[in-house]
Amino acid sequence: MILVALPVTALVAAAVAALRPWTNLPRMATAVAGVLEFLITLDVAIRVGQGATLQVPAAGIGVDGLAAVLLLLQGFVGMTASLYSWGYIRQLTEANRDRERWYHVNLNLFLASLFVVPLLLVPALAWVAVELTTVLSIFLVALENHHAALEAAWKYAVITIMGATAAALGIFLLLWGLSMRAPAAPQTWSAIIAAGPHMPAPLVRLAFVLIVIGFGTKVGFVPLHTWLPDAHSQAPTPVCALLSGVEVSTALYMILRLWPVFTTSPGFPAATWAIVIGLVSVGTAAFLLVQVHDYKRLFAFSTVEHMGILLAALGFGPLGAYAAIYQLLTHGLTKSLAFYTSGGVLIRTGTRDISEIRGLMQFAPWEGWSLLLAGLAIAGAPPFAVFLSEFSVVRSAYAVHDYWAIGLLLGFLLIAFLGILWQLTKMLFGTPHSDRRARSPRSLPLTVVLSAVPVVLLGVYLPAPLHHLFQMAAMNLRR
Amino acid sequence: MGFVSGALVPVNAFIGALFLLSTILLMAFRQVEGYMRYFIWQSVLLVLSTADLAVIRGSPNLFIVAVITLAAKVIMIPLLLRRVLHDELRTRREVELVINTQASLLVALLLSVMAYILVIPVLPFAPSGAAVNLPVGLDVLLIGMYTLAIRREAVPQMLALMAIDNGVFYAGVSITDSPAIIELAAGLEGVMVVVVVTILARTIAQHIGSTAVGHMATLKEGESR
Repeated sequence: MILVALPVTALVAAAVAALRPWTNLPRMATAVAGVLEFLITLDVAIRVGQGATLQVPAAGIGVDGLAAVLLLLQGFVGMTASLYSWGYIRQLTEANRDRERWYHVNLNLFLASLFVVPLLLVPALAWVAVELTTVLSIFLVALENHHAALEAAWKYAVITIMGATAAALGIFLLLWGLSMRAPAAPQTWSAIIAAGPHMPAPLVRLAFVLIVIGFGTKVGFVPLHTWLPDAHSQAPTPVCALLSGVEVSTALYMILRLWPVFTTSPGFPAATWAIVIGLVSVGTAAFLLVQVHDYKRLFAFSTVEHMGILLAALGFGPLGAYAAIYQLLTHGLTKSLAFYTSGGVLIRTGTRDISEIRGLMQFAPWEGWSLLLAGLAIAGAPPFAVFLSEFSVVRSAYAVHDYWAIGLLLGFLLIAFLGILWQLTKMLFGTPHSDRRARSPRSLPLTVVLSAVPVVLLGVYLPAPLHHLFQMAAMNLRR
Repeated sequence: MGFVSGALVPVNAFIGALFLLSTILLMAFRQVEGYMRYFIWQSVLLVLSTADLAVIRGSPNLFIVAVITLAAKVIMIPLLLRRVLHDELRTRREVELVINTQASLLVALLLSVMAYILVIPVLPFAPSGAAVNLPVGLDVLLIGMYTLAIRREAVPQMLALMAIDNGVFYAGVSITDSPAIIELAAGLEGVMVVVVVTILARTIAQHIGSTAVGHMATLKEGESR
């Protein structure tokens, strides 16, 4: 029953944070729960990797390879975001204790809803959980309560709820296809996948359109990404890290779960569509990266780019499925790190505007160096984790002889790489405009170092158990 | 299929026509109060169609869905909106549209044709009733998205969002009558979404002075701030 413990821990933390005996309790509850949740997800991932079946079909919950990878990512980023919130939110809310407490309650509820998604075996309930993640994160995005934050929260709410509603019709269609084939079967992911090849092809095609557009809105595929840079840049930093690192991956998880249905439907070129939609997203994001004026938006557009890479990888055969899982994990870990370092810069300089920051290396060497390294890591430079996962994406494309895709992908990756570094060097070097000396809370560099650990480790080698888990997850993407 | 059920299939088709009509009126009307009225109409028709299909199929699950929809969409949500946004409904009557009504009607026509073309290949497999509900539901989904795009104010956008929800359920109830848990959960979900979004709209109104979200254009690329 370790699976149930995961959301329950978060809910208990939310309840504790809602009490008000003394002022440090909310953030202590968040931090302790964050660490506990990571340990639980680690335990689940190890057990699944060793071949244990963590399934309780009667209760409709269970974890397989794919779900375990997502849980591991959620657990780690959830932990670092919880620890980062310790000092950051205290400073942000300017000692308004009620708002700080409310933030911690809401953050833990959001984490609980995230953990629930991969645990559920029933797609309809998982859909409800994805809707919950949206609803529970709206107020986190709007926390700062000024005009721009509210604008971002409104766009985020309206556009992603609209997308999820369209996806619901897609799920209805697949359930209909399932009931045609096996009326009495339980309506689980695996039952739908088993019935997939026998469903009428036009039905699967219509469901594909609705599900990819619907959940794709929440993932941020171009041209449905318009809300993403706003929400992912206006939210407070730990929430940015969760939204960009975990939330989009959780929405993508819904598409990944149903992926075998689309690939096994006779005569439907799902792989080609994945490559086309993926490359359009990568290309558009790469060019948009070059002209942003806000470094948090820079990282938000990088999320759109990475989601595109991930979707394209699905089109590159069995090796591509492995690469997609790999990319899912490395992107989440690295993107959260990138947002944590940018949060440090934001506290130090008080602005998000790239053109207002010069010579960061001189007046704030710690923030400067961490931003540079995180920028290199997310742009895909060796020796960081994203380099290896992107390399495996390109290698999988090579294995299926898709040279056009390789050419375009490498071109876009290069543009994105140069774009990110060009923007960052503008901030890092030169003569400082000002030397504002706002002190950042001590919890901040600690969290940055902690979240950098896997980014560096996975950049030099991939532990065998993790490799094995990726293989299991990749199997879930095929039949 | 008995005599009663046989008679209920054309009744469902008639309800479908009214359902589409209410959506088009929702799209074309220019007053906030009017949106509200047509949204309630639309929800009532959704309830009727669900109940009708429940009788045709003899499905208790669909009856539960009908009751939930009645409670949530016809009674609770309108009450909530009226209560929280009382002044909003009174004072902001005329609504600025991006595209005029005539052009919108033309777009609605095109979307209807498109929805039908998309659904035609699936129809041979459809159970009775779905031949109406599936294309109409998809059409309402598309018209709802269009409505959402041309609205510039928070309350109309919210109602368009829920009209999309109605369209999806209208199609959904015709093709699945299995575990009510889906619809149950989704119904509850709908209420909660509205509660949260309503509060948010309220906050926006307090902070910016109006709920004209169309004028929110601070966040964009290409100009430095």
